[in-house]
Amino acid sequence: MNRFSRWIADFLHPPKEARLDLGRRAVLGASLAGVGAKLLFGIAPEASKRTFNPALIRPPGALAEDDFLARCIRCGECMKVCPTNAIHPASLEGGFEGLWTPVLVTSLGYCDYECNLCSQVCPTHAIRQIEVAEKQKIKIGLAYIDRSRCLPWAYSKTCIVCEEHCPTPKKAIWFEEVEVRNIQGEKLTVKQPRVDPELCIGCGICEVKCPVRAPAAVRVASVGESRNPENQILLTTDSYGQG
Amino acid sequence: MAHLDRRNFLRAGVTAGAGLGISLLGPRHLVSSPQPPALSIAHYKTSPTDPDGIAEEARRLTRQAIDALGGMGRFVSKGNVVWIKPDIGWDRRPEQAATTNPDVVATLVALCYQAGAKKVLVSDNPCNPARLSYPRSGIQPAAEKAGAEVPFLDERKFRKMSLNGKVLKEWEVYQDIVEADRLINVPIAKNHNLCLATLGMKNLMGVLGGARNRLHQDLGGTVADLAAFLEPRLVVLDAIRILTANGPVGGNLADVKRKDTLVAGVDQVAVDAVGATLLGYKPESIVYIVQGNARGLGTMDFKSLSPRQLEV
Amino acid sequence: MAKKQKTSWIVWLRRLAQTGFFLLFCYLFLQTVYHPINQAGRGVTLFFNLDPLVALCSWLASHALVGAMLLSLATLAVTFICGRWFCGWVCPFGALHNFFTSLRGGPAKQKLEAGGYHRWQKAKYYLLVAFLVAALLGADVVGWLDPFSFFFRSLSTSIYPAINKGLVAAFTWVYDANPGVGPVRLTLVTEPVYSFLRKYFLAAAQPYYWGSLLVGSLFITVVALNFWRARFWCRYVCPLGGLLGVVGKNPLVRLNKHQEKCNNCRLCLVDCQGGAAPDKGWKPSECFYCWNCKSDCPAQAITFTVGSPHEVTCHSERSEESRPASPGVGAVREPPLLIDRGIEVGKKLR
Repeated sequence: MNRFSRWIADFLHPPKEARLDLGRRAVLGASLAGVGAKLLFGIAPEASKRTFNPALIRPPGALAEDDFLARCIRCGECMKVCPTNAIHPASLEGGFEGLWTPVLVTSLGYCDYECNLCSQVCPTHAIRQIEVAEKQKIKIGLAYIDRSRCLPWAYSKTCIVCEEHCPTPKKAIWFEEVEVRNIQGEKLTVKQPRVDPELCIGCGICEVKCPVRAPAAVRVASVGESRNPENQILLTTDSYGQG
Repeated sequence: MAHLDRRNFLRAGVTAGAGLGISLLGPRHLVSSPQPPALSIAHYKTSPTDPDGIAEEARRLTRQAIDALGGMGRFVSKGNVVWIKPDIGWDRRPEQAATTNPDVVATLVALCYQAGAKKVLVSDNPCNPARLSYPRSGIQPAAEKAGAEVPFLDERKFRKMSLNGKVLKEWEVYQDIVEADRLINVPIAKNHNLCLATLGMKNLMGVLGGARNRLHQDLGGTVADLAAFLEPRLVVLDAIRILTANGPVGGNLADVKRKDTLVAGVDQVAVDAVGATLLGYKPESIVYIVQGNARGLGTMDFKSLSPRQLEV
Repeated sequence: MAKKQKTSWIVWLRRLAQTGFFLLFCYLFLQTVYHPINQAGRGVTLFFNLDPLVALCSWLASHALVGAMLLSLATLAVTFICGRWFCGWVCPFGALHNFFTSLRGGPAKQKLEAGGYHRWQKAKYYLLVAFLVAALLGADVVGWLDPFSFFFRSLSTSIYPAINKGLVAAFTWVYDANPGVGPVRLTLVTEPVYSFLRKYFLAAAQPYYWGSLLVGSLFITVVALNFWRARFWCRYVCPLGGLLGVVGKNPLVRLNKHQEKCNNCRLCLVDCQGGAAPDKGWKPSECFYCWNCKSDCPAQAITFTVGSPHEVTCHSERSEESRPASPGVGAVREPPLLIDRGIEVGKKLR
């Protein structure tokens, strides 16, 4: 017991050579650096809550942004496991504080409708562990049609690839059959796609599969994400963005 | 890198198959023996709801439909390498009717081996990642259990080939499928917003690589070109569970209807025509059926083929 | 002249442990992938669960703790008793740095320079403090420099995709070019190997990641710095090393130097991994317990024993002063001369 208490005493008051000599001023300086970093993060535009980065599309199940950044350890597990190569390390989409946190880049990959692997592997539960059924109801963003590039809108050509791939049980893309004229002056009917903001979950398969490239004629933005009641379009009946 | 010679040979072989069969049987059968039917439509008398019941239904329908055509030996010879091309396009469960019934595929695999096939491969180039679609559709485990090889397609084996079609001149096609001895197309009948229905001919898109998402600008022409290029030896259309709305991906079980039917035939246009009617569409309203018919790939007037109708 | 020592069995055991944990990390990395149906692979976050820095900052910033993180208490408990054994025996990132450090060539004198203690080793503690304070204020950015995060993120977004690309390109070239003589083609060998790799190692589809160049360049830089200073990351940067150094600053398992046997040859410094200065005033918070010094010491002056600082003396200036004035028994003083003669001490995989 004596030895043990001696050891504890040594831990609290170690002899000179056993001390971790860090220097009070240096430690204070490091602390101030930590404070300074937090302040600098806090003045990024994203922190204002007045504007939201459309490219900040987080995986479904991600916590609200402040909580997310408080947990995410930028480990890259979600990026590795994502079967569609949709999750990427952010650069500045989430401000500097969000460096290397996961974002979906819907020009490169989409969120598979039946998958919840990212939520399975997150070590800190920054992406909550959720079942697939719950994930399918979470909106991570909203697709929008770029009418200046979409084949039936801009070029009088038939397409519908976006609607073809849309995974929601009732498709979040619907059509208006419109009579248009092509460049030869012939009349033809094309199906012009429109996105339903109530149904669209922002998975991004439409953007990935759209035959128009760089950029696609249908793209996903973060607006409408379930986890952020401020980043919404629709009139919602509660503050959680649920209609 | 055209394989048209073999395809043309096959086409000649299919249409002359009946004549060949007769001449093999000997001269005294020239007059008396009937030609084997080009089309069979098998319907199950009951509509089981339990998974085992549906599996049994699938197996029996498949066997009987093929038997009605003269048995798998008509299509597969000893030592053949057979490629079975089901619809494994989507990360969906079998009951969602977005992918071919796995027991239909497994039964076909077994029948091919019984007919003496050396190797049977089952694959697709799906729209969702293959490693998700293959197991969830149930097709990979069922086919492997029946002894088939179920490979994930190798990117390196998509080769640009001359299709010499009316619309498609050149496209990336999976080399191994084209080089196989036999191709059996096994689609599932589904609703599709652009062409109303996706059936057998459209299912062949799963052997293509490249930017397939551009084909929709002329689905009638491109699909007909593809059907003309590949000309599967046998088409088996799964209409046990069909997707009547929000296809081809589906997801809502309310959109799945039971037709408990299996269609098998050598005329891919006719099989598709039957499928169209099962979905509630007129065959003439489906662009690639019309084009296929016009080009002589088959006939959309399937009744003219005197299909064998079976109640199983 | 001291003869080259036979490597201690403990050093071999330590190398085995490092290799094992490194391979485990790589295995768990490869297992972080889709398994039918919709399973991510069991236990793939093991190293993150063992990581006390992740647990601490997560708790500080979010006031919550994931259950599995309690495993990190075990790491802390053992560190409390045995010091930074984790860095020396377990950490797979450390093992990687260890490996590259061992690839250094050059004379022993240069290694000594690189192996000795530098006061810049304190930098990791200041980094730790900055991260902890930031986490306390809600900015959990420790993941940028947490060793497992850094390693895993670099592997997943940069290194593994690059390796994948290289392998696929190589096998595709052989497949397309199809070199060989008559029926004997190279593809007869390469195709089965490729099938095997596709099944167990290669990605389902070639992954591409935004920002991969930056992540990959940082990784390569950090690894390359081992050629300048031994285990650069572990000594100067690693905040987890800093945390473990604080927790393990007064371990029960201590380096004991028998001053009467020591002849100041400083061979113990040449392969010292942590920069713990076993030649004068051993610093427990820098020691990885790699056992190299003990194994290398030609005079067997170093042992590791259990005790407290007052019992087990580190060979500081103080104990030197208390030595007898005349050269005592066996105290042959052969200072830098030994090193200048370029004694072969380089051993692989320190």
